Amino acid sequence: MRADAQKRRARKRNLIYILFLLPGLIYLLINDYIPMFGVFIAFKNIDYGKGIFKSDWIGLQNFRFLFKTKDALIMTRNTLLYNLVFIVLGTVFAIFVAILLCELGEKLSARIFQSALILPYLLSWVIISYVVFAFLSSDTGYVNKAILEPAGKSGVNWYGESFYWIFILIFVYLWKSAGYQSIVYMANIAGIDSSIKEAARIDGANKLQEIRYVVLPLLKPTVIIMTLMAVGRIFYSDFGLFYQVPMDSGALYPTTQTIDTYVYRGLMKLNDIGMASAAGVYQSMVGFVLVLLSNLAVRRIDPDNALF
Amino acid sequence: MKRKVNSEKAFHAFAFAVLLLLAVICILPVGLVVIASFTDEHTLLAQGYRFLPEKYSLAAYQYLWKQSAMMLRAYGVSIFVTAAGTCVSVILSMMFAYPLSRKDFKYRNLFSFLVFFTMLFSGGIVPSYMMWSSFFHIKDSILALIIPTYLMSAFHILLIRNYYTNSIPNELVEAARIDGASELLIFGRIMLPLSVPVIATVGLFTGLAYWNDWINGLYYINDPKLYSIQNLLIRLMNNIQYLNSGAAAGAISGGISTLPSTSVRMAIAVVGVIPVVIAYPFLQKYLIRGTVMGAVKG
Amino acid sequence: MKKKGLLTLAMAAFLAFTAGCGQTAAKTPETAGSGPAQSAAETTGDYTKIVYSYWTMDRIPDEDARKSVEEAINEITREKIGVEVELMPLAASEQAQKVSLAMASGEQLDIFNTVGDLNTYIANNQVYDITDLVHEYAQGAVDQVSEEFLKTTSKDGRIYAIPADKGIALAATLYYRKDIADELGLDFSTVKEIEDLTPLYEKVTEAYPEMVALAGGAGGLELVHTFKDFEVDYLTDAWTKPMGAVLMGDSMTVENLYATEEFKGRVELMRDWYEKGYVLKDAATTTASCQETVAAGKAFSFIGNQAGNYGVQEASSMCGYEMGYVRLSQPYLDTTAVNSVTWAISSQCKNPEKALEFLNLTYTDADIVNLIVFGIEGRDYVKVSDREMEFPEGLDANTVPYTAQYSCGVVGSQFKQLVHAGTPEDNNDLMYRENHESKTSPAFGFTFDSTPVKTEYTAVTNVINQYLPGLVWGSIDPETELPKFLNALQEAGLDDIIAAKQEQLDAWAAQE
Repeated sequence: MRADAQKRRARKRNLIYILFLLPGLIYLLINDYIPMFGVFIAFKNIDYGKGIFKSDWIGLQNFRFLFKTKDALIMTRNTLLYNLVFIVLGTVFAIFVAILLCELGEKLSARIFQSALILPYLLSWVIISYVVFAFLSSDTGYVNKAILEPAGKSGVNWYGESFYWIFILIFVYLWKSAGYQSIVYMANIAGIDSSIKEAARIDGANKLQEIRYVVLPLLKPTVIIMTLMAVGRIFYSDFGLFYQVPMDSGALYPTTQTIDTYVYRGLMKLNDIGMASAAGVYQSMVGFVLVLLSNLAVRRIDPDNALF
Repeated sequence: MKRKVNSEKAFHAFAFAVLLLLAVICILPVGLVVIASFTDEHTLLAQGYRFLPEKYSLAAYQYLWKQSAMMLRAYGVSIFVTAAGTCVSVILSMMFAYPLSRKDFKYRNLFSFLVFFTMLFSGGIVPSYMMWSSFFHIKDSILALIIPTYLMSAFHILLIRNYYTNSIPNELVEAARIDGASELLIFGRIMLPLSVPVIATVGLFTGLAYWNDWINGLYYINDPKLYSIQNLLIRLMNNIQYLNSGAAAGAISGGISTLPSTSVRMAIAVVGVIPVVIAYPFLQKYLIRGTVMGAVKG
Repeated sequence: MKKKGLLTLAMAAFLAFTAGCGQTAAKTPETAGSGPAQSAAETTGDYTKIVYSYWTMDRIPDEDARKSVEEAINEITREKIGVEVELMPLAASEQAQKVSLAMASGEQLDIFNTVGDLNTYIANNQVYDITDLVHEYAQGAVDQVSEEFLKTTSKDGRIYAIPADKGIALAATLYYRKDIADELGLDFSTVKEIEDLTPLYEKVTEAYPEMVALAGGAGGLELVHTFKDFEVDYLTDAWTKPMGAVLMGDSMTVENLYATEEFKGRVELMRDWYEKGYVLKDAATTTASCQETVAAGKAFSFIGNQAGNYGVQEASSMCGYEMGYVRLSQPYLDTTAVNSVTWAISSQCKNPEKALEFLNLTYTDADIVNLIVFGIEGRDYVKVSDREMEFPEGLDANTVPYTAQYSCGVVGSQFKQLVHAGTPEDNNDLMYRENHESKTSPAFGFTFDSTPVKTEYTAVTNVINQYLPGLVWGSIDPETELPKFLNALQEAGLDDIIAAKQEQLDAWAAQE
């Protein structure tokens, strides 16, 4: 009898839970799931006269251009490696900043610092590309004119030397996003029960030990989520960072070409939605497989924090 | 004991010093943009960007001032869209995340996956556009700036779910249940009030996304009355870029003399950022509310 | 089981949605016309509604301003051709994308202008085959641009568009600061081609070490255009970044432009200039326009492309110095010169006859074309003379309610339009004469269909973006980089493009 009532209660609760989900589900269906069927465009030769639904199927032909040249290797390598570096350094940096900010608490200085740190995030990539250019321009840039030349060294042709851009891009990325990303972790740290910290302190933990043994473990779930999500988008790249910031300079392609910039540069003239769609499908598929695998791994090790 | 206090103090000083340095690194380049917007156009080109330019000029802002009626309107649109969009989005996300955080919800993994999956796959712009413009007819209405894309974000939902699971003790919910509270009551009286930091976080993210959005405007808005500030700015910028890219070579045989110059582009950036800079410190207060938890539980 | 159910649901919704889409497309003509315009709602039934979209660099006018211009146009068109028009100005940077989106989703859009490669529009079947209609419904427009030019908008004998009627005979022209030229006693009359500039630039650099002799920017790959004096037909590729498969002179054999001695000579010259400091170190990447650079006192001259002779005045006003000019090449007409901007009827258009009739008016009726470009007289502009206009007192292009002044070379016929006050009187005549008297390529009228080599196109485009700006502005050394460039082109499949072009060209020549 009791078991029966419990079951009924559980079923009722599940129903209520679904009611909670309902508005969001409807939105997801309309905004995401139904349009997802649009991936068929990647397998069609779009003919506007016939309309997109009646255009001819052409199999995988739209995908060919992605693998045509040896650029395929370079752009895939760049996209992957930059994303890996961004995931690792981005997370470390964001947590570092968040811990420092929380240390200052609600003080005015903390607020000012945080506002300052989030400023770069508010600038569009186009503007950032001008700022970078202000520093790196060969003719008028700060680095050449105010640093290298007064020091008796000859200026560097920054937009012609691809090697430096590995570091420049990483720096610009961190500069723009660290403050923003730290917000996530700040909320987490702020949510930590102060009695836990108190207890640690009474046990004689110093500040570093407190961070190491109290704060970091509590951030783990968030780090896992953020990383899994980043893994899902590992074949995507921030177009602005890789296209606008290097000023589309051809000499830099070896270190700045990513899948997105390649697709954009190649299709600018063709205006072919079939091929653009094919590129998106390819990027999504890889991300999807990788996320499934990583989630599986997480579930093995730490089932509570798996995404699904 | 004394040593510990010292270590606290040292860490505090260390945090202050590092943050100061980082803040300077972040502000300086942005300051350069502000100064460039006040620099005389010719000086800018001849000498490059300088923190102390030889010649200042208000020309860029005068250029924008001429369009002030339009800019004010665009600010209005942006503020409304940001406020409305953020409110709706946060409520939807908070509700959606609640069942996902409950261990007794049978389908939590299925629905978590459904949410996450939207981050991985998209059908591209064409089907979304058809959906919203041909089926829902939201083109050239304020809804077009609010509804498509930004109302729900898998990222935000998972953040909230995560917060519910890890930062709100399950015993609290169980206790309420034993007292006979309904799910709605638990959600409204326990989950929401205890979630201030995550609401602030997600609200901030959503607000920034709405404020910075220009994609929806690009696709769905043709009437300049409904331009958001970003749409106004991005259209000015894009036309210059388009012209420079050579894509239009041969199309223009008239003059392009009145197109905005470099300093105007800088002024545009400044104008787009200012409201956020003003609003941010007020929001920030809610981000650090470490005491909330302790107070409730104590 | 659960998942399957969901999938079915989504499928059903999707089908409902596509069905709905068809309905709405059919519904549009009645509903969309019912704007605030006076009596439009009642009259729409009797008149055919045509949606006319056009490229604009100006501020998009707001709805009221646009409606008032529409109404003024409709007053003419209702009577003349029984059409009511809806204007759809699209920002230049968004135009191609918005046209594609509107067409993909079945919105009404009857007339639009193509910018760039007309062939991609034909290949995607975006444009209506107007062969059987154009002479009946738009003969005036055909006469205005000349029958001959329709060859450039044809494919296999079918006509798909009408070229915009504007100054198309562009000549690579060097603009230089007259004050400095006079001061240093530089004689530009001896300059016949770009090589002749070296001794002059040497003097400029000596006298003004802080200034570069030649301004340049990433967009301004006009140096490639100076190949015009070699009489190069890019065979449908964009001027600024041609694929490299070209015709040279009177030959009908497609060859690789970048492998020619002429190209090598040109990039070596630029390298020489770069090393001597005649050009900006950042020329390949800077975003400042040439005119801005000259205006800032940083450069002595720049190369531009202009039809007619209005260019020098414009250059002077933009640079803030009096500019002199000398042509570095004579105009040379290939297909691209004519069809880079054309007017086409959408392949989904329900009333192509009426659309063509309206299009015809934009080439033949001065009132209509002036309304579209400059708006309403008295409110948006005032007439200074029969042929000149200026903005009303205290207003400019940014503040008048409606203007599409930059679209002057795009909308219909430029020769029917008013001109900005101060334009030389013989400008239009010169443009018109050169449009029709300039030397034409032997392959004039041939258009290349890039569909069979799409994949190679994307790869080659990337290679060209990588190397060309640096080579053309001398910032990379042709000695080592040119061979790499050629090699990369080969790997990306340039030979396939050349072969495809040759094959299509031969077929075309046989037909002629």
